[in-house]
Order: sequence, then C-alpha cells, then structure tokens
Amino acid sequence: MSQTVISSHYPQIRICSIRMMKPETCEGLLNKLVEIPGIRRILLHGQNIPKVIPYGPARGIENVTDIKRRITVGSTSCDIRMLVGDIILELEDDCIIGVIKRVCDDFFVKFGFVMQEGTFIKPTPTMVDYARYGPKADPDIIGMTDPRSKEGPVMIKSREHGNNPEIRCENDALEG
Amino acid sequence: MKYTPQYGPGTSVVAENRRRQMDPSVELTKMRKIPDEDIVLILGHRAPGEAYKSVHPPIDELPEVDCPMRRLVKPTEGAMHGDRVRYVQFADSMFNAPCQPYQRTYSEMYRFRGIDPGTLSGRQIVECRERDLEKYCSTLIETEMFDPARVSLRGATVHGHSLRLSEDGMQFDAIQRCIMGEDGRVKYVKDQIGVPLDRQVDVGKPLDDDWLKTHTTIFHSLMGTPLREDPEYIEYLQRIHTLRTKYGFMPKEEKR
Repeated sequence: MSQTVISSHYPQIRICSIRMMKPETCEGLLNKLVEIPGIRRILLHGQNIPKVIPYGPARGIENVTDIKRRITVGSTSCDIRMLVGDIILELEDDCIIGVIKRVCDDFFVKFGFVMQEGTFIKPTPTMVDYARYGPKADPDIIGMTDPRSKEGPVMIKSREHGNNPEIRCENDALEG
Repeated sequence: MKYTPQYGPGTSVVAENRRRQMDPSVELTKMRKIPDEDIVLILGHRAPGEAYKSVHPPIDELPEVDCPMRRLVKPTEGAMHGDRVRYVQFADSMFNAPCQPYQRTYSEMYRFRGIDPGTLSGRQIVECRERDLEKYCSTLIETEMFDPARVSLRGATVHGHSLRLSEDGMQFDAIQRCIMGEDGRVKYVKDQIGVPLDRQVDVGKPLDDDWLKTHTTIFHSLMGTPLREDPEYIEYLQRIHTLRTKYGFMPKEEKR
C-alpha cells in the first residue's frame, strides 16, 4: 500500500528548552517567532494540565491551577493548558533558521535551549486520522492536534511583509 | 566475628549518600520544621485534631492469644491503638532529588517498623498504621531526604519524575499540589490526592543546586555524578545481573 507523504519537502526545526515553559514565557517567544516571515506551521508540544483531576479518590473535581491560561499570539487568542517543552516549526525554506536561532539566543537568558532539524510533525495520516478526518483530510491539519481532542488548530494570520527588510539566508545554526 | 552491614557498594558521593540514608545509626540532618498539623493536612487522611479511627480495639483490651510472634514482636504505637492502615506516596525527580524510590524503600526498611512499601520507577508508596505514618512522614519531610522542589507528596497523578523541571525549578505536577510563592518558598495548596486545602502549607525554600548535587542518591550523567565514574558500583551491578541471568542454571560464582 502506498502512502502519500505530506509536506515532507518543508524543513522542520524543533526548539527544546532546558526547562518546561510556562504559558506566559511561551507566549513571549511565540510573539517573537510569528514576526519572522516564512513559518508555515507551529506545533506546541508539552505536558497536559487536565481540566479535572484524572485519578485517585479526588477524580472528577476541578483541577484549579494557575498554569491554565489563554495566550495571545499575534492577534489570535488560544487556550494552551499545558507546560510547553518543545516548539516545532515548519518553515517555507531553511533560510530563516539563523534568524530563529538569533531570536531564541536573545530570548532564553535564564535557561538554555537546543535547536534541531528533522521531521517532527507526523508526515502521513494514520488510521486514527482517517477515522477522524476522512479520506480527504486537509494535509496541513495532519499531525497538528491530538485526534482525540475536540479542539482544532488555531490559524494565525500573517501580516503583509512588504516593509520588512530582506532576510539573508542563514542555516548553519543547528545542533543535534 | 561481628557482622557489620555495608548497606551498598560504591566509592562515589552518590553511593556514600545512599549508605548514609540507609544506615539507621546515622542521624539524618534536619533541614526544616513542619508542624504536625501541617503534615496531617498534606496527608489528607483525617482533619487536624480529629481522633484516629480504629479497625480493632487496642491490643491491651484484646483477649490473650498464645502466639510466639506476639511475644517476640513489640507492636508499634499505631498497632497498639488499633489504627487504620493509611499511606503516603512520594515522587522524586531524576534531576538530583535527594532520595529515589528504591533508596526510599531501603532506607525506610532499615529505619522504620511496621511498614509495607511499594516501589515503582518514579514513585514510592508506603503503608502503615496512621499514627506511625504521621511520625515517619515528619522524618521523611523534615530531613535531608526531602527537597520542596524536586520531591513531592503525590497520592495519585504522579507523572513528572522523568520530565524536565519547570521554569521555577519545580518538578512537573499536572494538578499543581504545591506552588512556588513570591517569597521563593514552596507551599502546598492541595493535599496529596489533589483536594484543595483550607490554608497553604509552607514546606520551605528549595535546596540549592550545589547542595543537591552533593547530597543526591541518583546517578545522572548530565546533571550530577555519572554511574561510569563509580567502577565499584558497576562491578556490583554486573555481578548481580550475571547471577540473575544464570539463576535457572544453578548460579555459582566463578573462582577468581
């Protein structure tokens, strides 16, 4: 059986911070990243903060924490409800990797980070995706959300980049 | 010849810390003072001041039984009063937490009486009579076996021991039982199973990284002492592995 490989020709990078990021910190970094033209998709990967206590005698009662937070990236708001460990970016081309590295270098001052290149977003639909989205699924949706989640991905609209300075091709900033 | 227990192999600081925690003749350094009432609150088994519930009458009131074990073993205080069996569970981060599940079980078996520990990779539960549990908990929380940031009491939803620490240096907890206050002190806002407390319970400031590195009982190649730096420990582990593997074939150690 042949499988259609989706968006494999787009480079992907993963930013792993040494410490798990709170939503406020993640929001700050994302707002710097979305200013960079050429990022197709952003995937946040981290540990879930459940809405209700999932196990034990207290199962079912509301999980009151100060971690849950609605963040605003660009002009779009979304609820992330997790501590973020990795930020995965899919790029139009690898010329902006150096720019992203510089943004991260300036941003991570209290703790470090590692940037890697590879394939981090699921490239092909699985059986679960087929059951959820059907045979004509949008390729850009695949791998972007947990198929069991009722929430879909959030679209962040880009501004016109007519006034932005030309970005020089820099792609020698990877580790791992 | 009088037998002297060795408690464990190794020449590294981690091995030394393990032996120190296991040896009941060593008095563990007291790092903080937590009132008994606060420990009762975190455990969540009874309200502070509430009488202990019992499952049988006090042993003194029970009829005499001709049992050699009863003559040999002195009951603990909890058993003497007929207390219920309750539990406490700890989750220890792999990032230089001062104690670890297996180490916790070894130490408790050497130091405490009347306990039933259960050991898993990232958490360790210990069951015993309620009165004894509270006494043992104060030892486990007030001494060097506890760090407010990297060790936490988690009755359920324990995930987090192998994850990266959060920004403030706390071990990840999906239901955030303890929080880092503005003053840098860790406070429990929920009991060990996640029920919100009426008031916060202060367990003190996290210990600094250098102290943790020299007092941890886990090997860690990136954050602390790598196992490969302790050849005596490796030799011991390899010997145990070999004997376990050969167990079904009548293990006999080769003569050197």
